[in-house]
Amino acid sequence: MMMFRYNFKYESILLFRSKWIQILIALLILLFGFATYNGQQKTQKRKADIEKVTAEIQVSDLNMLKLLDSVEQGLTVNARPWTIPNTPMAVGNYHPRVASKPPSELSFLATGQSDMFTHFVKPTVRGDDLALNFSEMTSPVQLLFGSFDVAFVIIFLLPLLIIAFSYDVLSSERESGSLRLLAAQPILLYKWLLQKLALRFFWVAIITIVALLLVFVANQVPVVDNFSTILTFLSVSLAYAFFWFALAFAVNLWAESSAKNAVALLGLWVVFVLLIPSILNQLGSTLYPIPSRGLMINEMRTIKAEATERQDEILDNYLRDHPEYAVNDTTQERSFWHSYMASQNLIKKKLEPVLSEYENQLQKQQQLLDRFTWLSPAILIQGSMNQLADNGSESYEGYRNQVISFAKEWRDHFLPMLYNNQAFSSGDYSKLPEFTYTPISGKSQSYVLLILLCSGLAVLGFGALRFYVSSAEKHSII
Amino acid sequence: MIRKTINKELKELFRDGRVRTSIFIVLLLLGVAVWISSRQYQQTNADYAAAKVSERAVWENQGEKNPHSAAHYGTYAFKPKYPLSLVDQGVDKYVGTSIFLEAHKRNEAEFSAATDQTGLARFGDLTPDFILLFIIPLLIVLLGNNAFTKERELGTYTLLKSAGAKGWKIVLGKWTALFLPVLIITVLLLILAGLVLSNLSDYGVFQWSSLTAMGVVFLVYYSVFTNLVLWVSYMAKRSGISLVISLSLWIIACLAAPKAASNIAEARHPYPTRQEFAANVLKDKDAGLDGHNPWSKEAKLLEEQVLTEYKVDSLQQLPFNFSAYLAQKGEEHEAEVYFKHYNYLKEQYDNQSGTYRSLALLSPFLPTRFLSMAIAQTDYATHWDFSDAAEKYRIATQAFLNNNTAQNTRYGERGYKASADFWQKLPQFEYEPPTLGQILENNRSNLNTLGLWTLFSFALLFFTTKKI
Repeated sequence: MMMFRYNFKYESILLFRSKWIQILIALLILLFGFATYNGQQKTQKRKADIEKVTAEIQVSDLNMLKLLDSVEQGLTVNARPWTIPNTPMAVGNYHPRVASKPPSELSFLATGQSDMFTHFVKPTVRGDDLALNFSEMTSPVQLLFGSFDVAFVIIFLLPLLIIAFSYDVLSSERESGSLRLLAAQPILLYKWLLQKLALRFFWVAIITIVALLLVFVANQVPVVDNFSTILTFLSVSLAYAFFWFALAFAVNLWAESSAKNAVALLGLWVVFVLLIPSILNQLGSTLYPIPSRGLMINEMRTIKAEATERQDEILDNYLRDHPEYAVNDTTQERSFWHSYMASQNLIKKKLEPVLSEYENQLQKQQQLLDRFTWLSPAILIQGSMNQLADNGSESYEGYRNQVISFAKEWRDHFLPMLYNNQAFSSGDYSKLPEFTYTPISGKSQSYVLLILLCSGLAVLGFGALRFYVSSAEKHSII
Repeated sequence: MIRKTINKELKELFRDGRVRTSIFIVLLLLGVAVWISSRQYQQTNADYAAAKVSERAVWENQGEKNPHSAAHYGTYAFKPKYPLSLVDQGVDKYVGTSIFLEAHKRNEAEFSAATDQTGLARFGDLTPDFILLFIIPLLIVLLGNNAFTKERELGTYTLLKSAGAKGWKIVLGKWTALFLPVLIITVLLLILAGLVLSNLSDYGVFQWSSLTAMGVVFLVYYSVFTNLVLWVSYMAKRSGISLVISLSLWIIACLAAPKAASNIAEARHPYPTRQEFAANVLKDKDAGLDGHNPWSKEAKLLEEQVLTEYKVDSLQQLPFNFSAYLAQKGEEHEAEVYFKHYNYLKEQYDNQSGTYRSLALLSPFLPTRFLSMAIAQTDYATHWDFSDAAEKYRIATQAFLNNNTAQNTRYGERGYKASADFWQKLPQFEYEPPTLGQILENNRSNLNTLGLWTLFSFALLFFTTKKI
């Protein structure tokens, strides 16, 4: 215990004198600061966009009510005839609701898929689910390069900082000859190395936590309100750092010279952070290829062409299948919309098997990945950060599904009115369905923590193995 | 002296187990990457050809139909994949591959591959460009970081001095020895890619000259890295320090700068959101002529104009159908609105490119990335070019259809249908991507920046290491 305290104190002083700690503090504050600032800017823009469009809808709703009022009073109104909101289809098409996915308060942590997908759509009764375009208008160059977010600093850069400051802990002592002196001390070599690395881990952990919290506060992140999420985020990040220190420990023991350590650790970094993710991704899309969208378009076109040709027949069949729709219809009037909506319904049914093929393949890819995520801590931690920020693929899939079912609700709301040839009145306004986004409840992060800690411990164990395998030539380490 | 240095360095490199392993791994990865990409390339092209033929058949077999109904029914333009995408996929994954061409509306390309992939896709793919742009520079860092520091550490530095070796000769020797393996890997890869491409049955417009230009760009990029790594090694006291510094250079150039550039570019010159864009277009469209609304103020104005121009007093007396003429004028107004708004997007992107260009002074990666994907015809500019060509074709198609109605019907006549064989007369959509010469011309600033990097890094290396 004495020895431990002694080591701890003097190593810390050494780290301080060699400016190791100062460099780490400056770098991390700089990197986290830039990343958080960027992320917060994006989040603010996203919020402002949603607020703006919601305000626009409110204004347009007021106009609609005014128009309705005039129509109901029998006045002539100055608007294009097909947009006058006394018909259900006009309201369904020209007065849609905003289905938005507001950013979570910690959205800045990881950009995830948020730069690729849109955050609000306005489903109308016209068009099918395919017409809902969920991709955002961005320069593809931006998507290619990705974002400088907090997740990037932790996943890509933190391991490199750890490697830079721990690759030669043992070998530099050997190379400078002080290892032999050390061997004469009453401490086991692996314990001594473990202490040295534990100390570095301790400092990295403290500096990371303090730097992140400082940066968060400076960027007006509501830390207190999201305390538990931030806690999870910090523990996942530290578990990831722990894994890299464990690797440094093992490599320090197994390799011989500083140069070899560095190459080995960098090689491992390339493998874990760059190669395994891209190989897994490639494997997924090779094993379960997504069918060509071009061919899907062909199929969709043929189905639509058929439906247009047989429009009247489809409408008759449809009304026979859904007598409830036209039950109060006394006029028997038929407009473009009557047959359009009926054939849309048929097209949707026919397209379902085609579209589900895409979802199935994507799901299979995701399952394959889920089975192998433990192969790379980088994939694990990326997944959990995206989830904490509510910006991952699952979040957007959840949002898409919610919007699609809302679009159906929206259409279904107007269908009985259409087929009963009912007018839309101001009284119906308050009955319009509204959309609220509910974030999907994600996987528990304890599983990620567990895998990271276990793989870290396994790597530590593998490092310690060096002593048992070569106990006969133990001196060779020294 | 130079040859001796090269020999000695190369021998040393290849005796080192880790060097052999790293080079072997890089070659293996390259082989796998080329194989996977060529399979994907063939698949994509087969799908493209099938989709194009099938779509044309759908268009031609519409039967008797009103031309304007056909215009709403629309047609699709599909984006082909170009041969060099085998080497550099560029932004292809992030842009759509099909554009719906219909009346009144310019649509964006839909269905980008990335939206059909899992979140992992954002880490990048195992493609040749990933290895060429990221891994090979890292290899240079690993192989070259101790080129000079090892002489110091092993004490051979003094020996070199006493042998009276000239500084620049040693540097040139070490430079060649470090560059040679990289040169061989790159040339091997490009020859492999070239052979694969010329043996594909439908290799389209593949040209060795483009492949060579691409190779030159990458080799220049590697020479910049070689210079920087050697310079750092010369200045550093220990191999460890030299490694950490060259590695930081790699991180800044290849990982941090592009991401930071993309964030800064977006913050300074943001794109409108999709909904905002659509709303702006709608507003401008409403302000002008609507081909479906003959009662609007603008339509009445046009009516008067036409009547005075043809010196008749009623629309019935015109030699063509005024409704169709109005539809065409409305179409032209809408096309103008789209032109204006898409031009705004282009301007924003040009401004963003400016940000990338100024940050390219911090990172030789950026000009290389842009040049390589431009030559491969997988960059954003090529995508713009394609979507502009599709828009031009859309406008021509609308005119073709509206003119048919205008010529064959009288004002007030309803229910006109064009004959079933009329649709075949519409010319097919053909797209020619820009040539290598045009591409290099458009990317002159990237070429300049890369050239500047080369000059600067060579000067740095050879002027500071005069004295060994």
